[in-house]
Amino acid sequence: MKRSLWLFLTLLCALSLGTGVGLSYAWVVSPRSLTDSQPAALRSDFKDQFRAVIAASYAATGNLPRAQARLTLLEDSNPIEALNAQAQRAIAVGEFLQADQITALALALENEADFPAPFSLPPTSDASSPGNIDSTVTPFPSPDALSFVFTGTPEIVAGQTIEATVILNTPTPRPTRTPMPTYGAPFRLVSQEAVCNPNLPDGLLQIVVYNSSRRQLAGVKVIITWDTGGEEFFTGFKPELGNGYADFLMLPDTSHAVQLALGSEIAVNLVPPVCQTPGGDPYLGGYKLTFQQP
Amino acid sequence: MPPVACPDVLPLRCQQSPLRPKMKASNLFLILFAFLLGISAGLAYGWFIDPVDFYDLTPDTLRADYKTDYVLMTAEAYRVEQDPGSAARRLAIFGVQSPSTIATEALVYARANGFPESDIAILQELVTALQAWSGIRQ
Repeated sequence: MKRSLWLFLTLLCALSLGTGVGLSYAWVVSPRSLTDSQPAALRSDFKDQFRAVIAASYAATGNLPRAQARLTLLEDSNPIEALNAQAQRAIAVGEFLQADQITALALALENEADFPAPFSLPPTSDASSPGNIDSTVTPFPSPDALSFVFTGTPEIVAGQTIEATVILNTPTPRPTRTPMPTYGAPFRLVSQEAVCNPNLPDGLLQIVVYNSSRRQLAGVKVIITWDTGGEEFFTGFKPELGNGYADFLMLPDTSHAVQLALGSEIAVNLVPPVCQTPGGDPYLGGYKLTFQQP
Repeated sequence: MPPVACPDVLPLRCQQSPLRPKMKASNLFLILFAFLLGISAGLAYGWFIDPVDFYDLTPDTLRADYKTDYVLMTAEAYRVEQDPGSAARRLAIFGVQSPSTIATEALVYARANGFPESDIAILQELVTALQAWSGIRQ
């Protein structure tokens, strides 16, 4: 009896030991060969590159559904936030064209009523499992094969009863050679106020840019001009003051005009106002401009 | 000395019996079998049932259709920008292969997998441009 028990325990130990050795080999020493991965598994800097190319492609084709489908492959929890954050990073390293393209894509997505739920790739062999490679590789699903739920943005007429039209499983059109994407409605200058604050630098022009949802937008190019020159800069360089914030030191006794490169109303005749400290000392004040997409 | 049967009631004596070496070999075989069985089970579990989850991967590990779509995006951007250098930089994400080779592979894949003619034409344009660009650089 004791011998049987001893033998049983020994066999159990041998089995456990063998399992441990097998698992160590399979997980640590020689994991299954890594091929056929998905974009979501890429390192973050490569995901950034992927997003940048998606934005460049969108800038070239204007095909938003296709760009959306590609973005969903990255499985960002919030693709718009990811794009905005990347736009800021691009600005920080001087990639202004890339920042423009990414911002344009983020804006286009913002203007969409709904961002479609991530789609599932058509059933293939378990492609996410490394090593389980099918000899026939399934092609990337073309937009024709993708199913989206699009909600249009209805035009509201007073007194009209709005019926939401939802189109299900409508094939996405193939890309067409449109010249450039439309960025949405021009930004409106919703407020322009003179700021007299002795704690701020003289002639400080503060600009804040919001989208239609009152969310600050990074990477928006601001163009400021005056009699003898001009300057271009972007929102988002001072994220501690807001993603849509930018500022500029105006020249004294000079009239400035400010507009957004994406299209906006123009703030004109911005001459730094002369303010006074509580002690009566004069100093140059500034302005705060707020742009918002309608 | 003739073999002696080992009664269960005398295990200590049995250990000293001539039968002991034969028993050990049998047990050893069983133990070895259990060990090998465990290794097989561990490998099967670690490779097939619950393989290692990878993250922070490089683009060269992407599935061929994703690679091709990335090249297609680059080609779409190139068609407007007409900047082969920029296209080459975008394709450099895939590693050591030359940009024209990467684009050519994507073109071959697109043709073999029934991509629309419009996409194939865009890819072809990129391949041609990158081949010319590579020639200029050399």
